[in-house]
Amino acid sequence: MSRKPRPLVLVLQYIFLGLMTLFALYPIWFVILASGRVGSRLYTLNLLGMFIPTEWTFENYQVMLSGQPYPFLTWMRNSLFVAGFTTIACLLIATSAAFAFSRFRFYGREFGLILLLAIQAFPGVLSLVPVAQLLTAFKLYASHWGLILAYTIGNLVFTTWLMKGYFDTIPIEIEEAAMIDGCGPIQSFLLVGLPMAKPALAVTALLAFMGGWGEYVFASVLIPAPDVRRTLMVGMYSLANTQSIPWGYFAAGAVMTIIPVILIYTYFQKYLVGGLTLGGVKG
Amino acid sequence: MVSWSGRRKALTILAFIGPTLLGILALNIYPIIYNVYISFTNRNQYHPNPDCTVFLTSVIEPGCWPMFRSNAGMGQPYVIQEPLFANYDSLIGKLFTGEGVLALVKLALLFAPLIIAGQVNKRLDRQLTRPVSSFWVWIGGLAITVLLAWILNVGGAMKTLEASSDFFIVVFRTLLFVVITVPLNYIFGLILALVLNGDYIKGRTFFRAIMIIPWAASTMFIIMSLIWQFFFREQGTINQILRAFGGEGLAWLANGNYALAAIILVNLWFSFPFCFNIILGALQSIPADQYEAADVDGATYWQQLVNITLPLLRPSVMPAIVLSAIGGGGFQMFGTVWAMTGGGPSQGAGVPGATELVMVYAYKQVFQYNAYAKAGAFAVIIFIFLFIATLYSMRISRITQGAYE
Repeated sequence: MSRKPRPLVLVLQYIFLGLMTLFALYPIWFVILASGRVGSRLYTLNLLGMFIPTEWTFENYQVMLSGQPYPFLTWMRNSLFVAGFTTIACLLIATSAAFAFSRFRFYGREFGLILLLAIQAFPGVLSLVPVAQLLTAFKLYASHWGLILAYTIGNLVFTTWLMKGYFDTIPIEIEEAAMIDGCGPIQSFLLVGLPMAKPALAVTALLAFMGGWGEYVFASVLIPAPDVRRTLMVGMYSLANTQSIPWGYFAAGAVMTIIPVILIYTYFQKYLVGGLTLGGVKG
Repeated sequence: MVSWSGRRKALTILAFIGPTLLGILALNIYPIIYNVYISFTNRNQYHPNPDCTVFLTSVIEPGCWPMFRSNAGMGQPYVIQEPLFANYDSLIGKLFTGEGVLALVKLALLFAPLIIAGQVNKRLDRQLTRPVSSFWVWIGGLAITVLLAWILNVGGAMKTLEASSDFFIVVFRTLLFVVITVPLNYIFGLILALVLNGDYIKGRTFFRAIMIIPWAASTMFIIMSLIWQFFFREQGTINQILRAFGGEGLAWLANGNYALAAIILVNLWFSFPFCFNIILGALQSIPADQYEAADVDGATYWQQLVNITLPLLRPSVMPAIVLSAIGGGGFQMFGTVWAMTGGGPSQGAGVPGATELVMVYAYKQVFQYNAYAKAGAFAVIIFIFLFIATLYSMRISRITQGAYE
């Protein structure tokens, strides 16, 4: 539909685009403004300060990075650690399962695929108590490894379906050729299947990483205090739930947390959209 | 594939899917079974501990397994409820007594005109020339619904239901939230995608890049929800702007309806980029000759939209819509509500707060009131509901097509 509309309609479309841009950008812009403001208040008394930087200081950033009174960098390291290992574990486990579901024909395959989807209908919040008890029994409660385990398995269903969807689109003939040349199933997976699934691997890794990075509920329950063991989201939430909220510090922390993610998403935009429509979402 | 012998094949396949299977069993299937069992006991803050002499308890509680046997804490052990379904009973409350059923029937009757309108439309579609457009049929259906609501006094019925069961209020409110928020997200996504799909718009790449920002930020929903919460505070941004124009501020999040509206708005912010990208992808896969043919036939923009674009979007967008509706941005919404209102504003002691959606309610039951057994029963009912919804969504979207090829 590339017919050029009437001028009035075109103007309306630009107005709509402008409003949506404002809507999409303003919260982020607001945090950036607030992070450079002196004092603990998010708002300024002059209205102009809500929209353009009327004052700017790096003090909030310095405090957050200094580790006193909030161990921000430790939180960040914890989150990186948890999200990183979650990503690796997810890729290892889910990719091989997805490859098997896509390539091999075996008894219980359809059942397994549907089971995967159906059990995901059980709300995660409600499985927290038994998961916590199980982790306690295995001495993994209050440990980052326990959290990694919970995240990995929580991500498995989604990642397995995503990867399976991608493997399904790769023609099997290439692997068959490899097998005729003497590859076993494991070799054909490692040497032929995996290299061709690179785009899907990238998307899966990104989503698994972001899942671990931004998750809050499991982290808040499975890693109770002390402060230094917390992940970033739990730490930031605790920051915003103190008596007098240090908004300036919070905003500075939020900027340092969000901006890298936005840059990564912008960079991967094409793959993200393509990968999601290829995998579990598309019919 | 190349044939290989049975045993080796089984071992290879096990090696590939074994870890997944093990993980799913331990951290997905086991919690489900555990919740089912707990829902038949009286485990709560007064009876928090397992009684390992009971056979079933000793099987299901990790603390009772011989290798992990830990000292039982203080406090009473929990026992199986007498009668067995006591938790389910107390959860559903007086929903299924005479008054409650009458109110439920009244509520269900409201959907009749809409269903009939849908059927009428289907029948009219089979005719060569429609006497009335589908739009007017829907309007008629809606008008009859409103009339019916007035005749049946549905407001009164709602009050009866709200008084009779927590469960009903929470689920009803969540469904209401889903019915508003999901279409809203997709309508905004659709309009945006339609606008940005036209190649006459300058700076399309720029706008598309902008729209990914809330999507990226939505992965850290806790932080962004806290920022949004600030906008709605009594001393927040929105009130500040209102005051600058001489208006009077409101405590937005202290009013139940405004709080729910605020959450819907924030959820729109989080979700519209995803909807936009999904729809844009689908739009670009519609072949251009469809529109060229329609242009030759003299179809207007609206005719093209209704008769070409929307029907062709349906197969690829419908699954995404259903998944959003039952997923974390819809029925299972938790994080945004938790950070914005924590389920409040309170509506009195012992009554769910005004924005207490299903997951928030369950979380509070477990972590604030330690009502494990009640939450377990709640989980089981919700699970059955979501399970059916998932199976239905698979039917709609034929996600399992690959599984049956």
